[in-house]
Amino acid sequence: MSDWVTLTAREIDGPLVVTQIDPAKIAELSEADIAALPVSRGGRHAALGDFFTVQGERSARVRVVSSTRDIDGFGTGMTGGELEIEGDAGALVGAGMRGGMLRVRGSVGDDAGAAMAGGLLRIDGNAGARLGANTPGAAKGMSGGEIVVLGSAGPEAGARIRRGLIVVGGDAGRDAGRAMIAGSLVVLGSCGEGTGRGSKRGSLVACGTVQVPATYRYACTYQPPHVRMTLLYLVRRHGLVIDAAVIESQFRRYCGDAGDPGKGEILERVPSV
Amino acid sequence: MDVRGVFIEDTFAEAFGMRGARLVITARNERWAREAASKLTGFATSVIACKCEAAIERELPATDTPDGRPGVAVLFFTMDSDSLGRRLIERIGQTVLTCPTTACFDGLPDLPDRLTTGKAIRTFGDRFQSSKVIGGQRYWRIPVMEGEFLLAETFGMQKKGIGGGNFLILGESADATLEAAEAAVEAISGTSNVILPFPGGIVRSGSKVGASYKGMIASTNDAYCPTLRPITKSALPEGVNSVLEIVLDGLDFDSISRAMRVGITAACRPGIRAISAGNYGGKLGPHHFHLRTIMEGA
Repeated sequence: MSDWVTLTAREIDGPLVVTQIDPAKIAELSEADIAALPVSRGGRHAALGDFFTVQGERSARVRVVSSTRDIDGFGTGMTGGELEIEGDAGALVGAGMRGGMLRVRGSVGDDAGAAMAGGLLRIDGNAGARLGANTPGAAKGMSGGEIVVLGSAGPEAGARIRRGLIVVGGDAGRDAGRAMIAGSLVVLGSCGEGTGRGSKRGSLVACGTVQVPATYRYACTYQPPHVRMTLLYLVRRHGLVIDAAVIESQFRRYCGDAGDPGKGEILERVPSV
Repeated sequence: MDVRGVFIEDTFAEAFGMRGARLVITARNERWAREAASKLTGFATSVIACKCEAAIERELPATDTPDGRPGVAVLFFTMDSDSLGRRLIERIGQTVLTCPTTACFDGLPDLPDRLTTGKAIRTFGDRFQSSKVIGGQRYWRIPVMEGEFLLAETFGMQKKGIGGGNFLILGESADATLEAAEAAVEAISGTSNVILPFPGGIVRSGSKVGASYKGMIASTNDAYCPTLRPITKSALPEGVNSVLEIVLDGLDFDSISRAMRVGITAACRPGIRAISAGNYGGKLGPHHFHLRTIMEGA
């Protein structure tokens, strides 16, 4: 048994899909078994050991070294343990994740945390489109857990989210929180157009600028206790740097989207004077 | 045994198992947190007539509360799980929900036994309430005229709580006894896991079980009433003219023992003849706090 299992990527020419890296399962495997895990290259089956040097065995802590945007699917369906990726990663990082902690020390591609149900996905760089959103054709996006992106996110972050918390430290692209069912999307930067369109319930917290759709109705300006608590939680638990003035801020509450049940909200921060 | 010239009687305090909960109430400032906490813990001195025992455990700085505002920790005790749940719903609903700027959090989040207090109180929101999960805990947002009341969905229940730890301060005069009792309360104040549910932490009317009147479950402890010395079976030594009692409830045996030790130590001062404790011969309560054993660690 090792402290860490380290997977060092060799030079990879073209896209590679790695969907079997679940630290909870790797904790049961020998070095040879890990190297034999299936991966997909251009639609053909191959073994993890063909593209990675494997060091260590039987540990629920896995580190990937020299990762690039060409590698998709890290932590897909992950159920527990700790997965740390040094470098960037491609699409579907942590998609369908149910437990454990996945940290990417770079940026990731599209569909990170898509349909995630539990655990923590932390991305130190930027995320692509559909962060924590639904998979194509599915009714629900993320249904539990937490996603924390220190950088910005592409379009449709939190689309159809049902439960859980998504935090974007930078800006969010267009259609953030589209058709939210419940849960929370916190954007510390600015939000693109179409934010919150078609949402049923859930909270979209905009600490920067946001263009509130005309189908939302203004309710009041106040200090939402759950926003204060969430922001403080992000500082204490995840080490995010959030100005005290933001935590103490007042927010404009808008209810929407128009239609049934229309119990969603956009909370727009009122900048302190 | 004596401590600074005060005789420690070879006896013990007899206490009972209780169910306990800790509430953390926060507010915009200390004033409103205290206001809510004092209303919440009002008329909660003894389960005999108040149905629960409660008091402020300690004040909390903003750095120690979930929402970063000043707060107050309150401990609550009842004789059984069912009544603890009911008392919390009644009291939080009438005193914390109603108090401006407050929020109410669970102070025992790691305990497996849960009371669904917030889940019950949420219905005050008349279907306009909504929930948020923050850090794995669910909270209810109840819309109120002021804005929103934030409340934890569940509260941890300590099944091994203890109520009725006590010691008696036997003094030469009423003034000396009160000063010693005040010193004991001051020393105990802020001790974790322990509260003193009586006014100012002090009881002047300690009771015995039963009475000569039919149906009364408690009556004056005549053995410790100085005015009755010649006409009852008095337990008072010569020279004692006043007795005050400190009653302690706590989340565990060790916390009560620690608090009794610092309290008794502080109470041992000029004008005090002896320290004793209330018990029922050891037949009613399973928890026995032997004074001399406790003070050996002082």
